[in-house]
Amino acid sequence: MLIQTTQLEKKVTTSEGELQILHPINMQIAAGETVAIVGASGSGKSTLLSLLAGLDLSSAGDVLIDNEKLSELDEEQRAKVRADKIGFIFQSFLLIPSLTALENVMLPAELAGHKTAEQEARELLAQVGLSERLHHYPNQLSGGEQQRVAIARAFIGTPKILFADEPTGNLDKKTGNTVEDLLFDMNAKSGTTLIMVTHDGELAKRCQRILRMDAGRLNEEQRDVA
Amino acid sequence: MWPKISRRLLLQELRRGELTIMALAIVLSVTAVLSLSLFSERLQEGLLARSSEFLAADRVLSSRREVNESWLTEAHERNLQTARRVVFNSMAFAGDELGLVDVKAVSEGYPLRGDLETAAEPYGEGEVTNGVPPLGEAWVASALFQSLQLDIGDTIEVGDSAFRVTRVVTYEPDVGFSVFTDSPNVLINYADLAATNLIQPGSRVRYNILYAGEADAIAGYEDWLLPQLNDDTHNWRSIDDGDAPLARSLRRAERFMMLASLLGVVLAATAVAVAAQRYCQRNYDVVAIMKTLGGSKAQIQKIFTLHLLLLTVISIGIGLLLGWFIQWQVTELVAAQLDTTLPAAGWRPYALASATGLLSSVMFTLYPLLRLIKVPPLRVLHRQLVGAADIRWLHWLLCGGTVYLLLVLYSQQWLLSTALFAGGGGAAVVLLLIGRLFIGVSRKAGMQAGSAWRLAMAGLQRRAGANSVQMISFSTAIMLLLLVLALRNELLADWQEQLPDNAPNYFILNVAEEKVEQLQETFAAKDIVSNDMYPIVPGRVTAINDEVLRDEVTKEDRDADEGEREEEGEAREGFGRELSLTWRNELPPNNVVVEGEWFGDDTTPQVSLESQVAERMDMKLGDELEFNIGGEVFRVPVTSIREVNWNSLQPNFYMIFNPATLSDFPATYISSFHLDQSRKSELNALFKDFPQVSLLDLDALMAQLREVISQVSLAIAFVLFLVIIAGTLVLVAQVQASMEERQQELVILRTLGAPAKLLRRSITYEFLVLGGISGLIATLAMELSLLILQTQVFEMDAVWHWRFWLVGPVAGAIIVALLGRLACARLIRRNTAQLIRTLA
Repeated sequence: MLIQTTQLEKKVTTSEGELQILHPINMQIAAGETVAIVGASGSGKSTLLSLLAGLDLSSAGDVLIDNEKLSELDEEQRAKVRADKIGFIFQSFLLIPSLTALENVMLPAELAGHKTAEQEARELLAQVGLSERLHHYPNQLSGGEQQRVAIARAFIGTPKILFADEPTGNLDKKTGNTVEDLLFDMNAKSGTTLIMVTHDGELAKRCQRILRMDAGRLNEEQRDVA
Repeated sequence: MWPKISRRLLLQELRRGELTIMALAIVLSVTAVLSLSLFSERLQEGLLARSSEFLAADRVLSSRREVNESWLTEAHERNLQTARRVVFNSMAFAGDELGLVDVKAVSEGYPLRGDLETAAEPYGEGEVTNGVPPLGEAWVASALFQSLQLDIGDTIEVGDSAFRVTRVVTYEPDVGFSVFTDSPNVLINYADLAATNLIQPGSRVRYNILYAGEADAIAGYEDWLLPQLNDDTHNWRSIDDGDAPLARSLRRAERFMMLASLLGVVLAATAVAVAAQRYCQRNYDVVAIMKTLGGSKAQIQKIFTLHLLLLTVISIGIGLLLGWFIQWQVTELVAAQLDTTLPAAGWRPYALASATGLLSSVMFTLYPLLRLIKVPPLRVLHRQLVGAADIRWLHWLLCGGTVYLLLVLYSQQWLLSTALFAGGGGAAVVLLLIGRLFIGVSRKAGMQAGSAWRLAMAGLQRRAGANSVQMISFSTAIMLLLLVLALRNELLADWQEQLPDNAPNYFILNVAEEKVEQLQETFAAKDIVSNDMYPIVPGRVTAINDEVLRDEVTKEDRDADEGEREEEGEAREGFGRELSLTWRNELPPNNVVVEGEWFGDDTTPQVSLESQVAERMDMKLGDELEFNIGGEVFRVPVTSIREVNWNSLQPNFYMIFNPATLSDFPATYISSFHLDQSRKSELNALFKDFPQVSLLDLDALMAQLREVISQVSLAIAFVLFLVIIAGTLVLVAQVQASMEERQQELVILRTLGAPAKLLRRSITYEFLVLGGISGLIATLAMELSLLILQTQVFEMDAVWHWRFWLVGPVAGAIIVALLGRLACARLIRRNTAQLIRTLA
């Protein structure tokens, strides 16, 4: 299994006492699977994603990526895991405003020490149809274009896992559809494991598995494989 | 890879103008420090050189005996220039006339500093003259032409030698304010001295060696020579000894420059601190994204450290160039305006400026940078997350330590730095408390007002914490500006008072009692305003209470020796010499009774003492002083002690008696008057009827003083200008930073449909209140600091600045509101969708 959780829990302390955000979660995701995590706002989707990606630490239980226990790694080691194996796409794109499209895409590869970062980035930007926009800054791009830059950035360094947090949440329907197509298309080509948080039912249906979060509990929806 | 990322980030951010404020702050701090220290160093050297002219040298060794020749040899070996000056009293004969003169024999090279001026005819226009009188010639003062009935080309006899009078001495740099040197000068060549046969063992002669050269060489020679001097026979003098005209004013100017520059440095450092904080906050998201994308802490640390270092180095470079350029421009201006050249400065200002830029950038950024590096990657999902702030004390420690270090580095004075720092720290805490109180009160007041006001007050209250900090920087900036402005005005007024346009430029001496009325009538007829006539009775102090004073130094000795002071000068070995005593009912202007009471019309015999002489001679109120005037001995008690402004150009006295005590003794009178330069030619005719009266021309000296003052004034204007720029930058940086905080709120209000007008008004009002309160606090703080500075540092009287109580708050409110409005206009102009996107 590429990703595995055992009794994964998350609690936070608030002024009104302890709040259980995630009840013990056990799940397994195989390499190459596409998984949607759906649920209402506040159900714990994003928290689960942050734990799976090693952005946050669990209160109890474990996340294993490639049989590596994230809870036993320090922040530096978790960053290394992200650099080597994980790509991200966010609802708000999260591009660095002072870098051009090309430079934004190059960044993860450069942080991982790839010598061919620029070449890889140019190819990916060509794949997402932005060859003409290499030297534009994020604020010079439309929302759809920014998300395409983010997709290109997510695929650089050929990650094993791609986490997408509401990737079309900030886009209009039409642009959203184009971005979705692009995302699934590239994912299929590279055989990446895709874990997507969304509350868009249509989008979720394009994934092989749908996991539903409900008040911090995870249930798998049984459905036919698309 | 990380250096590449770092460099790329820097270039892109520079191009997009995101680092402008931070870079500007560093550039400014470097520019300010460099131009200020370069300029003040050069100016100080220049002033010192200018002041040295009053000595005609950098140092003077004065001795009662011939000076050891090896001391001169040593000076030459150390590359010092030297000149000899021998001064003594003698009778001079011209035909049937004779008179007492001061003979000054000078060697080639005299004066080493300043210029000797001579004219072709008595009271003629003086011109700079190089060299000393040729052998066999004498250059004499205008007054001697009157008393000895001389003409140019005539011969005067001094001792066994005869000299042909070829020029009229109009200005000797080292003549000073010696009103009581009542014999006119005769300048001859040192090589002619021996032939006069006037120098015999036991003659009352002052041998002076003048020295000039590089500061280091002088200091080295001083270290070598001083241990060999004998306090009884030798006197070593520099311009710093304080007996030069305007010495106190110059010291004040120097202190002002130092203080204002220090404040400028603090302001510039504050701007860096504010900008650094904002610089790091802007990068929180970038760090979170980098971490999410797999960037390690070490990588990020390196990226941002390099980023900042590059920014700092570039800014320091620009600052150095700019600072040098500004200083060069100002120096050129000074040189052109004042017809003088300023000496070049050393390497220290450059090192100091670079250190200031580097220190403030690194130290002020350290804590924000630590927080930046600690930003958790989870911030990409939860925007409110920031780096841990558990070491806030470290930040204050670093900032405080850096400011203190900069103060010490710049001033090289522990005490001044510590006082300023402690005072500043205390003031900041008080400001913080007062600021919070004000915000609380204005919130209540705002509730009664219209919607824009209510919004503004709610904003103020909500951001009370941040606003208090902002208020400190606003207040500090405004306070320092007011402080420098007020001090400058007072220093200038003080100097102007000392040297008004109609300041007396001539002293008249030896006016016989019966001629006083006639002279006054002549003055009135010619429309010349003169000061009061003061009677002079020469007399000696022979005992204090029952202690009889030693009688070693004579008046002649004194006059030949010092010649620097307007008054009798410093007695080194007690009064055994004749003093110029006077009597008068009214307290003279520029005199303040500090102990006892002025006698007024009291007819009981008594005397009033000058405070410095009282201290030096250890004479107290109630002491009985014994005087000997022309053989008549009497005792009087000291009933008052006066402080005298020695810089005032009027006759000043150590001892003033009440008329009942002294008016029966025969006296001559002295006074001073002002005569316009253009009416100089009238002098000869004016004094034709008063052949016995001696005239002392202070015009050249006053021109020199005025020049020094205008040089200093210009320097002060420059310092003020830089401080204003630094202060404005702090305000801009602070408003910019606070705009960032307001951005989100603006977006929400705009989205909810608040009209731009309402937002603009609410922000303007908010800053108006913030600026007004800051201005008020600043005025209060300025008044307190000024009270301490004036009384403790500048030896001035403390005054209350009513005008500033209006100017401070009003100017503060207007400027801060204007800056706030400008900064928010940019935000409001953008459409709401754009704004939301920047926040997303």
